[in-house]
This record gives sequence, structure tokens and C-alpha cells, in this order.
Amino acid sequence: MLFMIPKKRELKVRKAILRGVYEDNLRIIGKNPVILAGRAPVFFKKMFLFFSITLLSILVNGNYLKLPLFPEKQTTASLITQRPSSLPAEKPVKPSDYAAFLGGKEMPLSRMFGLEVKTIMIDPGHGGSDSGTTGTMGTKEKDITLDIAKKLRERLRKYGRYNILITREQDTTLPLNQRVELARSSRADLFISIHLNYLPSKPINIIETYYFGPSADDKTLRLAEQENAGSHYGLSDFKEIIGKIGETLKLQESKEFAASIQKNLFLNSKKQNANVYNFGVKRAPFIVLLGVDVPAVLAEVSCLSNREEEIELNTESHRENIARYLEAGILDYLNKGEVSYEAKRSSGRR
Amino acid sequence: MKQKEAQGEGNILFVGIDLGTSRSSISASNNTREWIESYVGWPKDFISLQVVGKPVLFGAEALKNRLSLDLCRPLEHGVIKEGIEKSEEAVKEIIKHLIELAKPQPEQKIYAVVGVPADTLKVNKLAIRKAVSEFAHSLMVVSEPFAVAYGMNLLNNSLVIDIGAGTTDLCIMHGTIPSEEDQKTILTAGDYIDEQLYSYLTEKYPNSKFNKNMVRQFKEQYSFVREISEDIRVEIPVDGKPVMHDIKNEVKRACESILPALVETTTEMIARFDPEFQVKIKNNIVLAGGGSLIRGLREYLQNALKEYGPCNVTCVEDPLFSGSNGALKLAQDMPAKYWEPL
Repeated sequence: MLFMIPKKRELKVRKAILRGVYEDNLRIIGKNPVILAGRAPVFFKKMFLFFSITLLSILVNGNYLKLPLFPEKQTTASLITQRPSSLPAEKPVKPSDYAAFLGGKEMPLSRMFGLEVKTIMIDPGHGGSDSGTTGTMGTKEKDITLDIAKKLRERLRKYGRYNILITREQDTTLPLNQRVELARSSRADLFISIHLNYLPSKPINIIETYYFGPSADDKTLRLAEQENAGSHYGLSDFKEIIGKIGETLKLQESKEFAASIQKNLFLNSKKQNANVYNFGVKRAPFIVLLGVDVPAVLAEVSCLSNREEEIELNTESHRENIARYLEAGILDYLNKGEVSYEAKRSSGRR
Repeated sequence: MKQKEAQGEGNILFVGIDLGTSRSSISASNNTREWIESYVGWPKDFISLQVVGKPVLFGAEALKNRLSLDLCRPLEHGVIKEGIEKSEEAVKEIIKHLIELAKPQPEQKIYAVVGVPADTLKVNKLAIRKAVSEFAHSLMVVSEPFAVAYGMNLLNNSLVIDIGAGTTDLCIMHGTIPSEEDQKTILTAGDYIDEQLYSYLTEKYPNSKFNKNMVRQFKEQYSFVREISEDIRVEIPVDGKPVMHDIKNEVKRACESILPALVETTTEMIARFDPEFQVKIKNNIVLAGGGSLIRGLREYLQNALKEYGPCNVTCVEDPLFSGSNGALKLAQDMPAKYWEPL
């Protein structure tokens, strides 16, 4: 190798780079270098608070459409949706694009009952500029969810019976409304969104699964806020979306689906790690769950705020295991209990 | 450098490892340079163990005996792929083998810098660390294009395009360690060309028998974009009889299939950069990795970027070792206090 005599400035640059490499590697093994990137900016926290209060007031009052909430927001939101809609509105609901896209066709019952599930859509949470939560070692939620989703896809593909789709193939930014649209346009019969939890206050590892519904739980609402950020839906659309809660059939199916996922995920994870807490099946107003017309769940498969869990999530085998449990949960739901909840080929290897 | 070498004399062997999808190489401070193809094979059963006579085989040797082996290419598509324990084991074996090839003295401490595909770094960094940690006393993991850039002294205002087998990694250097936004990965690379070439050839010659391995060899021997004057003819058996086939057009089409994404991403990355420095970056584009050996690629890229102003694209001199040499340089330059024992 040939080296020019390095100038002083270049030496300085090189020093900085070497230090950067060192710090980067420290982060990988979990030792925090002195300088750390700042926590979630205050701006986000404010957003959470704003939205959770909005949501709470909407839900508690129950009367979503007539609430004179934040009028200036409403005007901007309805501006987005003033494009003419070709579908006649049956109920006295303001016509909007999303009304057409959400309430247009009725779902065939057979599909809703899971009799003919052909297309399963997997949705790895976050992506691109939206990293989701980040662990102390710098593990990003978006990378883990993508990897688990891909593994789950490979597993489900092996059956040959299902058409498995994924909302994002790479580390790309994908707003929630596009995910919803994707699920609808590809006629998915089942929708599962994969996320990781983050509990800043408690160092425990929990597993929980959500389906769409109003929730009075403050924490859940905050989480919903977190996952709903970047939905690109206007406020008026959001109200209509909430109005769709009435679709009880889908709700029941989603609940059953969520229960099956949660059961498989938790019982199997418990075998690997006794310190997992079962937070059960919950209802929450996740936009990504509501916009989809078929049974849809959002699984918080693990917890990035837990250090041991973060280390585990960095191992290939643990991610594969989670994919396996999800696979078992999906099959369990599809076969309505014919398959036991034990994950297939559950080997003792770790 | 003098002072750095003096620092390295305390019976420490610095190694730079380029862990690639297709080929892995090692450069060591005792001047050894070795490479293997990133294949690991374990004998399938007792009989094959007798035949091959070794518990584990690597690279070309593994490929040659692949019929009696459990063959694993652990970093397909740039990440440790499914199969998991086996792949992690394979990565470990490759590292072990590479370090053995560097012939360290028994009492020498090994300080390693490992360059891995950018995507691997994201999800598998801990796995890679684990795989290496058994064989080294201290180590650091960096992304491959960054290692190349560091090795070539392109620390400021440059763009490294590392066209590997599984992924093409782009990395902009601007005087600091590249952040996530400065790096981009596209999935069209060498393996993608192989797949394209394979499907074009099956389409054109449905009766000829060839496999992925042969196709890869054709590509490595003849790849080109734009125009070349010579004919490309290869021998492929038809019904067991060797017949000459003209594959020039197919090779061209397959190689050119990676270009649109490559040009698009390159321009996108340059465009996103601070406008005052864009000209400097355009004059400092470096092609690395096996893909830089495609004939005409450099000229093509330079031409394609012409409309965005003058630019200068160069290829690294030694694509096989540019990554590991860079990693070695990084290891040697690293201040002693940054090396932490594992």
C-alpha cells in the first residue's frame, strides 16, 4: 500500500473516524460510550399527549362526529378529502375518499370467517426514516421487525397453500395509510403487523397482542399514538375510521386471531425465558388495524427496553423462534384449534 | 505509519477481514493475503466423510465436492440467512479458517477488524461479533464500503460503490464515520446477475444442461456492459455432447440488468448531499467489489452521470483485497486504548 504523508487536517479527520468506529462498536456490545444520542425529542412527547387526549375525549364521549374538536384542524383535514367521491353515501356521513375506501364493499362472510384464507399480509412495523423504538445498544425496531417478518414469510410459504405478502421488503419509509391500502388492494384475507414494545420505566419483558377497538387504558392509548404516528390520515378521516367500530364480525374474528397469536407467542416464549410477562390480548385504536377490512392484529412480540431481550433479539435463532411462534399462532387460528398451540418442530436448540 | 508499526510490535497480529457473500479475504500485518470463496461444506454422512477426508471444507474445495457435502453459503443476500445455527456455525468456520490462513504465531494476540455487508451490520452484528470473538483477542466490526474507503484514504467527499454478490452497498464519506443516511444498500448485485443470466440462457437454450455454478463462471469470465468486439462462446453439453453456444447477448442483458437501480441510487445519493460538495463527490466515485470487474461498467457510469456535470469514476486496483486491506489499515491505525479485550 502507498501512503502519502498525511496532512494535519487529515490526521484529525482520521482520529475522529477511528473514535467513531470505536464508539459504534462499543454500542454493539452494549457498553455505552460517554456521548449518547439524545432520547426521544420533547416534540414527540407533546404529540403523544395531544393525540391521547384527543382520542380519549372522542372515545369517552362516544359521539365522534358532532364533537367540535379543534375546529382549525378539521378544516385542514377536510380540505385534504374534498375530492369528489363517486360512491353514494348511504348514511349521513360526509363523503370522503377514505369513506369510499373503507366502507365501499362489504367483505364476503366466508372470507371473514377464515374459511378461505389465501392471502396473508405481514406488516413489519416502522421502516426507513421511522426507526420505531431503539434499544440501548442501538438495535432498531424497524430492522428486527423486518427480519422477523421475512422469516415468518419464508415459514408460511413452505405450506404452499397461502399467498404471503409483505408490506415492505426493505428498509423503506411506508406510511400507515399506504400499508392499509396495500392490504386492501392485494385482497389480503389476514393481516398481522409486527412490532416491538418499549417500556422505559420497567425493565421487564412483555408480550401483548392487539386488535382494533376503543380502549380506556391510558398506556395503551399512548402506545397507539406511537404506532399511529405517520399515518397520514386527516383528523376527519380518523373520526370516520373510529366510526367503523361497528363492524362486529371483523372484530370478533380479529379478537380470536389475536388470542391465538398471543397464546402461541407467550406460551412458547415462556419456555425459552421464564421472565416473560403475559399482558394478554388488548383492544386499541391502531389505525393500521382498523383500515384493514379483514381480521387484523398487531403483535408486540418482544420488548426492546429489556436489555437481555435486546441481546437475544440480535441473535438469529431468537428471531427465528419468534417467527415460528407467530407461524403457529396463525395456523392455529386458521385451523380453529385443530393444531395444538405447541410450535411445530419446536426444538430445544437455542 | 512508522509509529503505528512500532505500536504493533508488541506481539500483536493485526488482521483485516472482508466477510463477503461470495468471497472472503484476509489481510494481516505479517503481509499474508489470502482469500476463499464463502462456501462451507460439512460431509453429509459417514461415507462422504471417508471420501472427502475432512470434517469441514471451504471455498473451491467445498464446491468441487458439493455432491457429498452439506453446503452452506452463510451470507446470502448480505445477511446471515435462515438455517440459522448452521449459518452462524458456517460464519464461525470461515473466520477460523481465514485466521488460520494468516498464520499467526502461537503466542501472538490477534486484533481484528471485520468488514461485513452493510445490511448484515444492521441485524447480525452481534452474531458476527460472537462468531469472531472465539478466534480474536479484540475486534471491531465495520461496514464493507467504509473499510474500502478508509483503505484508499478517501475520507472526505467521496462515494464508494461496493458491488458485491448479495448486495450493492453505497457509502458517502464526508470526513466522519458514515451514518445510516450516508449508506444505502440495493439488492441487485452479482447474484442477481447470475439469476438473470440463468433464466435468459434457459430461455434461449432449453435443451442444454447447465447449472448455477457454470453460469456464475461464465459471468466471472465474460461479464461486460455496452459493447465489446469479441464473441463469447462457451461449451455446454446438450444430451451429453459438448456444443458451443453463443451467449454474448445474454451476458450483456444480464449485466446491464443491475444498471438502472445503480445509476438511480447513485444520483439520488449525490443529489441529497450538500450542493456545495456535490462536484467534489462526483470527481471521487470509486467502484469496488467483484462487480467493479465488469468490463465497461466504469465508462457506463461515468457517461450516465455526465448530464449531472463532470464526474470521475475509478475502479479499485484489487477488488478482492481492497476491503480487507482497508480493514487492516483501520486496525493498524486504531489507537491502542480503543482495543478492548473480549
